Amino acid sequence: MKSISLYTNNGSWLTKLHPFSKIFYLVAAIAVPLISGHLPVFLGVILLSILLLKSAGLVHKAFPLLAFSFTIILTVVIIQGIFNQKNMTVLFSLGPIHFYKEGLLYAAHIGLNILNMLLSFAILVLTTSPSELVEELEKKGFSPKFGYIINSVFQIIPQMTGTMNTISDAQRSRGMETEGSLLTRAKAFLPLISPVVMSALTSTRERAIALEVRGFGGSAKKTYLYSHPYSKADQVLKALSILAVVVTIVLRVVHVL
Amino acid sequence: MSLIEVKDLKYRYPGTTELALDGVSFTVEKGEFIGIAGENGAGKSSLSQALLGLIPQFYKGAYGGSVTVCGMDARNTPVSELCRHVGLVFQNPFNQLSGAKDTVYDEVGYGLQNLGFPPEEIRTRVESVLRCFGIWEYRDRNPFDLSGGQLQRVAICSVLAMNPDVLILDEPTSQLDPEGSEEVFHTVDELTKMGITIIMIEQKIEKLAGYCDRVLLMHQGQVVDYDTPRKIFSREDLYDLGVNPPAYTRFARANALVFEDGTLPVTHAETLELVKASGADRAALIASLRGMTAGVQMDKQGDGAADAAPHSGTGSNADMSEAGRQPAGAGEEAVAAEVSTSTGGRSASEGAGAAATFQVQDLRFSYVKGREVLHGLNLALDHRPTAIIGQNGAGKTTLVRVLKGLLKPDSGEIRYQGENLETKTVAELASRVGYVFQNPDDQIFKYKVLEEVMFGPLNIGMSPQEAEASAHEALRMVGLDEKADENPYDLELSDRKMVAIASVLAMNTDVIILDEPTIAQSWNGREKIREIIQTQAAQGKLVIAILHDMDFVANSFARVIAMAHGEILADGAPAEVFRNHPVLEKAALAAPPLYELLEELEAM
Repeated sequence: MKSISLYTNNGSWLTKLHPFSKIFYLVAAIAVPLISGHLPVFLGVILLSILLLKSAGLVHKAFPLLAFSFTIILTVVIIQGIFNQKNMTVLFSLGPIHFYKEGLLYAAHIGLNILNMLLSFAILVLTTSPSELVEELEKKGFSPKFGYIINSVFQIIPQMTGTMNTISDAQRSRGMETEGSLLTRAKAFLPLISPVVMSALTSTRERAIALEVRGFGGSAKKTYLYSHPYSKADQVLKALSILAVVVTIVLRVVHVL
Repeated sequence: MSLIEVKDLKYRYPGTTELALDGVSFTVEKGEFIGIAGENGAGKSSLSQALLGLIPQFYKGAYGGSVTVCGMDARNTPVSELCRHVGLVFQNPFNQLSGAKDTVYDEVGYGLQNLGFPPEEIRTRVESVLRCFGIWEYRDRNPFDLSGGQLQRVAICSVLAMNPDVLILDEPTSQLDPEGSEEVFHTVDELTKMGITIIMIEQKIEKLAGYCDRVLLMHQGQVVDYDTPRKIFSREDLYDLGVNPPAYTRFARANALVFEDGTLPVTHAETLELVKASGADRAALIASLRGMTAGVQMDKQGDGAADAAPHSGTGSNADMSEAGRQPAGAGEEAVAAEVSTSTGGRSASEGAGAAATFQVQDLRFSYVKGREVLHGLNLALDHRPTAIIGQNGAGKTTLVRVLKGLLKPDSGEIRYQGENLETKTVAELASRVGYVFQNPDDQIFKYKVLEEVMFGPLNIGMSPQEAEASAHEALRMVGLDEKADENPYDLELSDRKMVAIASVLAMNTDVIILDEPTIAQSWNGREKIREIIQTQAAQGKLVIAILHDMDFVANSFARVIAMAHGEILADGAPAEVFRNHPVLEKAALAAPPLYELLEELEAM
């Protein structure tokens, strides 16, 4: 089954960290530059995230995420660079089009912010198994029902695409053309979607029963098979993350930043 | 007090007018192995759900009477409490998965987690149950990646891990190959020795007869009888109740092998014992057995089915009863012999020549590069109805999907009547090769049975009138014409499977491929499918079916292809393949029940 989770267990130190430490890092990495509001801080945190990913051998997996965001960032740069309200100082011109310093700086803030968020999320998402994250959250009092919903999404969506393929095969076997013009494909849509929805509905009911007979709705306190004690690295990462946020706030308050 | 007490249980599903359970009463003692037999719609599954409290707690509807399990009232005790004592294994293992766990190991431990067991105990139990069912090596696999058979084992494990006092299994072996289902029965039988009470719904009657202490016979929501397998299966009205007696019992009845108390033997051992004790004429018995294993049934209804098959000789059903194997003293079987024409009665390789349909040469296929599923198959199909048998994962479905053009081979050549199929799209081939998928819900999308069946014919260019006529004809064949205006989703699974078969029959293709058509069908359904196969073959069509039901294979097909690990191990008439022990062993198959008996009698 093709997983929709981006996580692969490559055994690096980041995957071994407790999910919560990575969440602490995530929050700090987003908050610190935002609070400080300085471009070099953004750049610094971005660089740090890239270094962390590199140490875990995952930079190449983060690139597709970045590539995706580049079109958005580029659009922002062009529009703000040319049309921002506060535009005063022309920085450079391409023919008749003038790019302004104010707009470009604003765009840089937005762009770097997006990049920063993506990279720090990438650290969490690429190195944490969704089910482990959910399990740890449940241990902290997160509702098991909600946890189940998150977990099942990762299982059921790929499974539904599988069903979709089988259904498409079954209808093609009965002579339905699924290839060709837009009209042909549009006509092929209903015979595909209807069994998918129906089978999803029936299997939802069956699954509800399956959960019920395995004590899901019960009042017993759930136990967990895996424990993930905080390691030294976890303690350090957590402490540094909190410290970084506190220090930034203090510096901001005393107007050093 | 008994472990399970059901008193005058009545139940009606919401939105229906008929009672699904109508005054059911019985008791079960601790450690008993109870089988539930009955035709589709007899109320077997409903009863199993009532024992666990799913009826009425989950399904609502009208409920009367009482169900007491382990001292708890199933009507009021929450299912999450009852499930500590009663486990339920579903018919479709796929729906039993929690959908929240990504490894087999975690999946099996899931129920225990919910019940709040300490982790160490969960680990011990999960390991022991996985090892017991031989799937310990799959513990790190994603359950959704497993085959049906493996999945069924996971499903059983996940329930067993919860250490229930009562284990209810709803046709747990329908997805399994013969070896796998024998394993399940054996393991479940072991459980009774540990004091676990087993209630099993099953269509494999021989297995029920062999393992159960008592059998609950149901019909139209009522309990007809509740007694030892021997008493139950000796009843003369079994066929009227939609239940086929075990093959041994059919054999015994035909040869007047009766115990002193008037009952008939239901197992291999009992039959053998009776044969020895009665001093019956061995030669006559052997002849009778040969007749029965050669594909023609001895009993009354069996003849009816054989008579229903047109006798126009295309040679396709000829091989089913080789001339030399005619039973003495069974005149009816001559009917089938008359059908024999010059092309019949030979081995697979010889019969192929003239009427070739599919020609497959050095076919190789892999889903993932480097992991080949089919290793250079060579195969020439003709017009004889052909069954493909083999273990779960042997490559059977892959092979027929390649034939149908749904999968493109890595290398090798497939010709149909001399024409290379490589460039055709699946839809273009649809008018020539029909393929009925295993799960009818993968194709049903119309709100009327008739429209569903007309979908294929319309796609391949029949006019609406032709399509409708063809659809009615196909529905008549599967016995559902009176339900033509109903919504297919309202039908039982067994009927939905018939709708799927009809929707392909209506396309009037030259080739019909059936993937596990007998799953979920009770005796009458299987007889219907047998008739269809014979009618189609008589019309000169090639019927290919993938099957785990060896008895059905032996009775309905002229040619059997045994596959294992992506290779063809044997190819020939059922009588040849089922007596080829090295092949059966290698393919993890078991011959139909009567073959073993035949061989033992011959050796005596």
